[in-house]
Amino acid sequence: MNIPLGDYLMLSAFLFAIGLCGALSRKNAIIVLMGIEIMFNAAILNLIVFWHYKYFATPTAYIFAIFAISIAAAESAVGLALVIAIYRQYKSVDVDEFTSLKG
Amino acid sequence: MEAIFWILSAITVLGALFAITLRNLIHCVLSLILFFLGIAGHYFLLRADFLGAVQILIYIGAVAVLMLFAIMLTRHVTGDEGPREVLGGKWWAGMGTAVIIAGLLWAIIRKDQLAQILPAGGAQTSVVEIGKALVADWVVPFEAMAVLLTAALIGAVVIALEEVIRRR
Amino acid sequence: MDHTEYLQHLAQQQWLIPFFPLVAAAIQSLMKRPSRKASGALTIIAMGLSCIFALRAFFATIGSGAEHHEVERTIFNFTWFKFGTTSLDLGFILDPLTAGMAAMVAFVGFWIFVNATGYMAEDENFTRFFCFLSLFAASMLGLVISNNLLLLFMCWELVGLCSYLLIGFWYFKPSAAAAMKKAFITTRIGDVGFLLGIVMLYWKTGTLTMYTHDALHPGALEQVGALALRNGWWGLSTASTIAFLLFIGAMGKSAQFPLHVWLPDAMEGPTPVSALIHAATMVAAGVFMVGRMYPLFTAEPGSWVLDFVMWIGCITAVFSATIAVAQFDIKRVLAYSTCSQLGFMVMGLGAGSLVAGQFHLLTHAFFKALLFLGSGCVIIGTHHEQDMRKMGGLRKYMPITFWCYLFGMLALSGVPPFAGFFSKDEILLSTFHRNKYAWGLATFAAFLTAFYMTRQMYMVFAGKWRGGENDHGHDKHGKHDDHGHGQHGGEPHEVTWNMWLPIAVLSLFAIGLGFFGHKYGEYLGVAGAESEEGMAVVMGASLAVVALGLLLGWAVYGRKTMEHATDEDPLSVALGGLFTFLNRKWYIDELYDVTIIRFTATCGVFFRLVDKLIIDGALHAIAWTAWGISQFFRWIGDEFFINGGFDAGCESVRWEGKEFSKLENGRIQNYFRVLSLGAAVLLLIYFFT
Repeated sequence: MNIPLGDYLMLSAFLFAIGLCGALSRKNAIIVLMGIEIMFNAAILNLIVFWHYKYFATPTAYIFAIFAISIAAAESAVGLALVIAIYRQYKSVDVDEFTSLKG
Repeated sequence: MEAIFWILSAITVLGALFAITLRNLIHCVLSLILFFLGIAGHYFLLRADFLGAVQILIYIGAVAVLMLFAIMLTRHVTGDEGPREVLGGKWWAGMGTAVIIAGLLWAIIRKDQLAQILPAGGAQTSVVEIGKALVADWVVPFEAMAVLLTAALIGAVVIALEEVIRRR
Repeated sequence: MDHTEYLQHLAQQQWLIPFFPLVAAAIQSLMKRPSRKASGALTIIAMGLSCIFALRAFFATIGSGAEHHEVERTIFNFTWFKFGTTSLDLGFILDPLTAGMAAMVAFVGFWIFVNATGYMAEDENFTRFFCFLSLFAASMLGLVISNNLLLLFMCWELVGLCSYLLIGFWYFKPSAAAAMKKAFITTRIGDVGFLLGIVMLYWKTGTLTMYTHDALHPGALEQVGALALRNGWWGLSTASTIAFLLFIGAMGKSAQFPLHVWLPDAMEGPTPVSALIHAATMVAAGVFMVGRMYPLFTAEPGSWVLDFVMWIGCITAVFSATIAVAQFDIKRVLAYSTCSQLGFMVMGLGAGSLVAGQFHLLTHAFFKALLFLGSGCVIIGTHHEQDMRKMGGLRKYMPITFWCYLFGMLALSGVPPFAGFFSKDEILLSTFHRNKYAWGLATFAAFLTAFYMTRQMYMVFAGKWRGGENDHGHDKHGKHDDHGHGQHGGEPHEVTWNMWLPIAVLSLFAIGLGFFGHKYGEYLGVAGAESEEGMAVVMGASLAVVALGLLLGWAVYGRKTMEHATDEDPLSVALGGLFTFLNRKWYIDELYDVTIIRFTATCGVFFRLVDKLIIDGALHAIAWTAWGISQFFRWIGDEFFINGGFDAGCESVRWEGKEFSKLENGRIQNYFRVLSLGAAVLLLIYFFT
């Protein structure tokens, strides 16, 4: 395991960027949520990387990561429920059509 | 050993990329599953075994399935979203932003002494230790998590349930 | 107090003489329309008071000349207003010339006013008439007592104004309206010369006061000696130039040829007006003014000014006498006669004799006023008939009028011992000494005077009444104000007492005034009398022509009087075309119309064109320039700053607001994009600084 920390960090940054790009570019709401999930995972990966390289001693980051995953899961559940509810209202999941908060 | 890293990285990155650029939504989700798998692999590589298992269980087992269900429930278009339609209006803005952030971070990383190789040393953290930590040091967040999850469950059900109530 | 102090006291009170009529005029201008009794009484009383004061002044000055053989002039000057170091003075003078004239004006005026209450008895505008008459009397008296050319000129213009108002008293008659304009404009032409003379006098002497009795600041007439030595225009000395210019004013006011054209037309006014203004007083103002300024005329012995004056007078006398022969309107005959007699007066002054001219002025005032008032009585008595051909035989119907008129006629013709004989003779004598040709022409004019007056007497009073021949005796005087006796022609009748009393009084003077001729010379204090040589020739000649005139008049008109109103005048039968020429006033009016009036009208059109093109053009150019400038400033200020700056600023804020509101389009993904962009920028800032 002689992988430089920098490589891992670069990986995580890249994944985050991809996730961000997807969240900003796609017009389907579900893909946007997917992008958010990708971002989440990138962040948690980053956390574990640092835990691995520096803080083996305490499991604090590990616990943190477990919690983060749980929260991410809860968030995605609620988010998708919202998408379904919106779909019922607008009959579409195109984010460009959700303009009732305009102005 | 670095080869595993690079292979896993490739899987992860490709999975993420295809997740956001594929036309067919189901394909997107499947690519996302690939991504999750890659991440799990990275967790295993980083000696965070439990976390890797949790990752597979929760993300692939729950989140991805949930997404599939959501896709199936919100399908109204006749499938084909072309790449232009896929990426919506100012796709280049998003792309640009992402590139900026990536570049930045890359620059940071390259700059500092983070290029050094730190050995992965020390004892592994075992599941027993995690369990102990959860109920001893971190019991309050643990319980809060439980509450949160319950709330999320109820909330999701309530939000998704509206139509049924209205129909009656 | 002694005599000198008394005279000074009177001189200070000279202003009272015109004061009363002025007050009467002011009160009457505010009175209601036909307040006959009140207005008439007010006027008569005011004039009576004026007469008393004038007579008092007159009697005070009698004897002063005889004692000292030089004129005793008492003056009273006062400053009207000052501006800077110069001041405008006015002043009164009390000397024989003034006192005599004032007494005559007041006295004759008084009796004319009495007559006028009868003449205008049925007129609607009674009050207005007497208001104007009083104003006239006040201005004429003011003119007479004035020691200052400024005051004299102001009163001169005022009498001109009153003449204008009174000639056109019945302004709704177009002929009267035209006549009033003609009078004013013609006298105005003369006034141009007058004003030039006044200005030149002020320029050369530095003062307009005639006498100051102050060696340090001598009056204008006291500097005559110096003026006579300086050079003026046209080969004259300054004094003579000024005299000439002043005489032009007198020509206008006293109806000398060629500015005489207004006087006959002035007969459009009521007869008392004709009597007062156009016989006795206003027209005499020109003669009086020359007499007042006489030192200027005589300053330079060899100048041609006096000769010019004499010849103008002579020409006028003959010219108007010839016209009077061929007129049919009773007032026209008298008007031309007045013109002719004024010519005599002017001729007398021009011949070098102040006494002769002034004396004839005084006597003429009395008998001409008498004649005009008499004609007024005739007009009223014949129910507003003025054409002599329609009269006749009035001796039976109006005896008092007849006898008074006869005295006036004899006085005018120069029959001794009536007044006119003596005064006219003085003039003829002076002219004889001066220029024999002028004397010859003047004698011819005297002959004509006798002739046309005889003609008038026979046509009006002798023979049989021709007036009732056509029923509509007065359709030609359309809008004369209604008088009670209405439309029936009827026979003539004698007039009321307030009309024949004045003419009776005046006829006394016509008879008796002549005997005071010599006394008048002494009274005026003129040194030495005219030399008596040639007196026999002159007197003989004038008696002869008078007799000839009377005889011829009787021969043509008296032997066989006119039978019918439409009969041909015997003279016109005899003279034919010449008669028509004379009747049409030598076509002078037509000549003026074609030349001067047409020229003036053309000038008017030309100047109107100039006005439109040049002046209006200039105005338009200025207006356009102003508009252009304002547009420029509008462009700068308004367009550029306000519209461009402020408005554009506001507009751009609104536009930016609109653009920015596009950010908030309700699309969450958009918000997310912006968010990430912001995060990227923050990272940049954080990591690179």
